[in-house]
Amino acid sequence: MSTVTGRESGAGAGGPDRAGLRQRAIDDRAGLLESDPLLNHEYDGIREYDNPTPGWWHALFLGSVVFSVCYVLFWHVSVFGWTSEESIAARRVVEYQRIFGALGELSNDEPTLLKLMADQRMMAIAAGSFRGACAACHAADGGGINGVNLTDDHYKNVRAITDIFGVITGGAANGAMPAWRNSFSNNERVLLAAYVASLRGTEPGSPRAAEGEPIQPWPEPPEGGTRAEVGRVEGGGGGGGA
Amino acid sequence: MAPVGSSVTGIGHGQPQRTGLEGSDAGPAPHALAGDALPGMDAFEYDDAIVRKFVLATIVWGAVAFLVGLVIAVQLAWPAANLGLEWFSFGRLRPLHTNAAIFAFAGNSIFAAIYYSTQRLCRARMFSDALSRLHFWGWQGVIVSAALTLPMGVTQAKEYAELEWPIDLAIAVVWVGFFGVNFFGTLMRRRERHMYVALWFYIATIVTVAVLHVFNNLWVPLAAVELLNGRVPSGADWLKSWPIYAGVQDAFMQWWYGHNAVAFFLTTPFLGLMYYFLPKAAEKPVYSYRLSIVHFWSLVFIYIWAGPHHLHYTALPAWASTLGMIFSLMLWMPSWGGMINGLLTLRGAWGKVTSDPILKFFVVGVTFYGMSTFEGPVLSIKSVNALTHYTDWTIAHVHGGALGWNGFMTFGMLYWLMPRLFQAPLWSGRLMGLHFWVATLGILLYVGSIYTAGLTQGLMWRAFDQTGALAYPEFIETVTVLIPMYWIRVVGGALYLAGMVMLIVNAAMTYRSRPARYARRVQHALPLSAAYADPPRPRSRLDANIGAARWLDSAVVSGWFHRVWERKPARFTVLTTAAVVVASLFEIVPTFLIRSNVPSIASVQPYTPLELIGRDIYIAEGCYNCHSQMIRPLWADVKRYSEQHSLPGESVYDRPFQWGSRRIGPDLAREGGRQSHDWQVSHLENPRSLVAESIMPSYAHLLEQDLNFDSIKGRVQAMALLGVPYGPAVKGDNAKTMALEQASRLGGELAQQGRHSGLEGKKVIALLAYLQRLGTDVFKPAPEEPAGEAGAPDKGANP
Repeated sequence: MSTVTGRESGAGAGGPDRAGLRQRAIDDRAGLLESDPLLNHEYDGIREYDNPTPGWWHALFLGSVVFSVCYVLFWHVSVFGWTSEESIAARRVVEYQRIFGALGELSNDEPTLLKLMADQRMMAIAAGSFRGACAACHAADGGGINGVNLTDDHYKNVRAITDIFGVITGGAANGAMPAWRNSFSNNERVLLAAYVASLRGTEPGSPRAAEGEPIQPWPEPPEGGTRAEVGRVEGGGGGGGA
Repeated sequence: MAPVGSSVTGIGHGQPQRTGLEGSDAGPAPHALAGDALPGMDAFEYDDAIVRKFVLATIVWGAVAFLVGLVIAVQLAWPAANLGLEWFSFGRLRPLHTNAAIFAFAGNSIFAAIYYSTQRLCRARMFSDALSRLHFWGWQGVIVSAALTLPMGVTQAKEYAELEWPIDLAIAVVWVGFFGVNFFGTLMRRRERHMYVALWFYIATIVTVAVLHVFNNLWVPLAAVELLNGRVPSGADWLKSWPIYAGVQDAFMQWWYGHNAVAFFLTTPFLGLMYYFLPKAAEKPVYSYRLSIVHFWSLVFIYIWAGPHHLHYTALPAWASTLGMIFSLMLWMPSWGGMINGLLTLRGAWGKVTSDPILKFFVVGVTFYGMSTFEGPVLSIKSVNALTHYTDWTIAHVHGGALGWNGFMTFGMLYWLMPRLFQAPLWSGRLMGLHFWVATLGILLYVGSIYTAGLTQGLMWRAFDQTGALAYPEFIETVTVLIPMYWIRVVGGALYLAGMVMLIVNAAMTYRSRPARYARRVQHALPLSAAYADPPRPRSRLDANIGAARWLDSAVVSGWFHRVWERKPARFTVLTTAAVVVASLFEIVPTFLIRSNVPSIASVQPYTPLELIGRDIYIAEGCYNCHSQMIRPLWADVKRYSEQHSLPGESVYDRPFQWGSRRIGPDLAREGGRQSHDWQVSHLENPRSLVAESIMPSYAHLLEQDLNFDSIKGRVQAMALLGVPYGPAVKGDNAKTMALEQASRLGGELAQQGRHSGLEGKKVIALLAYLQRLGTDVFKPAPEEPAGEAGAPDKGANP
């Protein structure tokens, strides 16, 4: 490629002004322009240097290509990669074990529910699920918004403590209370039922009026145990870091 | 202080003999200077009137786009700003903002740049003045029709491709028939043998945008189905259409389009703009011709693959997602090639940058380009994307690009053009300088606050407490914390708009001092001679005895082959098209052909007729602007939304797909059955009655407006035409009967649950039917009999 060398514009015809001098000083310090080969192309006054592409540019470009090949080989060809589905399946096992590990498969019976209600840690876990799924209608403190107040002694579809699980699982009131069997595992629903039972007798911020019939108090906890104080969300273990 | 940049006054640059007002201020060129007529030269004039028109349109639509952006920014911080008007709600206005910013502001800006520079780089007037005018008025017509239809809820619900089919047709005609023909006609009539790099980028822009637009906008219009069946469509039904693609394929096509709209509408034409206007304003040669060759071709070939990075962890097959990621990483250096060439062109001109706001705009614009094209590859890394996707981080990223790169390159160009086009000194260099600082501060406030918002929300979504439960299980907790950041964004946006007002004042005052008649500048140039002989291939500098190496050196490394291409616009265009199309086909063909990409799920059945029209209401309201329908196989998503993440087979009847790109509200993929009918309807009527701090607009109008049951039949028939197994639902008036039945059943259930009654005939009932169906099919048993009864009303929807 034929080139000509040199700066394409000198100082103005009226002699170098201050800006021109300063610019010239910058140019000279950079030591670039004088020696750069200028191509003999010209388009509407625009010219181009024949500078080489920078070495680091080539290195990073090639590096990104090499990385990409390695990435594909690792994740899609080799036996070492894993899928995100496998990853959450493994996490699910770990988390399930972490929460329910010693308890095994829970059943919806009175002793189990009363035992869970007395378990501070399990109630804190349930509080999180309650806020995620139930608080939209029942309020985070159970006082009720357009869903019933869960803190008073009146219930529409519950006569015994073991009835709560059925309402959560299958819904109630022609779908006004949705069914949650697809959203929560059996254990999670038993745990939620215990949590809902534990809300009874707490003091919500702005309670909805009582609906349904008053029912007998829950049975006393076995062996003189006490109910966990988790009526309020803040009382639970929520809010901790990741 | 140094004197104000010479281009402020529009008069010469230290060389008094050059006025800067000339059509062609040629440097020490082998060509004759403008004005010197030699024997055999053609005499012609550049068409600057068309550039003035596009400049005016850029300014007007820019102000509109920024203003609408400001309005929707306020709406997110303060929902009362939705004013309770259905056409003024966020979901309707957000597409108006994006379309105005991209197609009206940036669009007119690149047209101004292309019409000004192409004529000069080709030493020829545009091919046809008539086509220039048709292009201008046609494009403004498209913009006005977009501004009228989008707030009315007429939308295809695919981002940046929202405009309905008649407007799509108009865009194709204007882009290809008027603009494309005019541009390539000019290339054919050029008087400059070689095409400068700016023209390469314009070629890539015109060809690729045409391909993207056509293939992402293949649809079946409702009107066609109605007319084929001997019915006359009513009202807005004339404008309704559905894409021929569904679910995974539709998502793939949309983001192939969406990403490359960014590439070939907001990047390549602006690189062309940069390559012309930046060396002009700096009066410096471009840093490296070789770099421009390498980065042009690598950019054009690699960009087109990167679309799937918008769909990481979705139901898109993993191989496509991987291609999207690795090609995004490989795109980093090709993109930076443009930045390097821009910034290093300013070597020796930095003194001038300190005093010339035009160069300041260009420097900051190119810097934002560099930052955005570094950030893009980072965001495309899957594990980074898992955090940032669906958050405001993406919004901050695009605004760094749009406000910084597209906006500032446009402003620099406009200020450089004003004295030349209006043939009068710029009214105020100080106001231009103020615009620069105010707009820069505006961008920093915008992206600073919104990056913070995105990172905050992304981290909150995936925060767990020590029990392993979500630390912020209520979605609204992760919204209210963002509100202060949203107010800072409002301030940033207002500053950016204020800068635009300064530009308007400056432009208007400069225009006022234009001469009574614009001076005509006759150009002279020799026509290209047909007898031109290509220079011979240079001798290789290699002594090696390998012929192939010597040939490579002499033909390729020397740049000789590319000089040949630069002389041949048709060949150059074909090669560019091939680069883009071949790369696209590598991804598109497998996406459509590999059956295992979308394993079918027997229990996933077509929407009922009522749900189908409810879905169209969901689309018209723009719900997809704030709600995704895609639970990713990520622990945080699964914990928050459903044990079962979204599967590819679940969206096979989704035309268009509704996976969304931002969760301003929660994901709705498994919304069906999650709330009662009463909750859903009350929430639509007034979200804040149930979620006190909700920022969702009210949709009370859906409880008042009647549902047009007569238009259901055509919708079902259109779906059947696209292969959806509707069975008996398509026959006679079955669709309408089924819809009425389901509406009456749902209305009854709704009335039993609460205070809403008599809504059977209203739009809300169809939307409710759709919402309660969402994501429920996977949990159902597979149907006993095959597809025949598919369209029957779903009795299991509400257990």
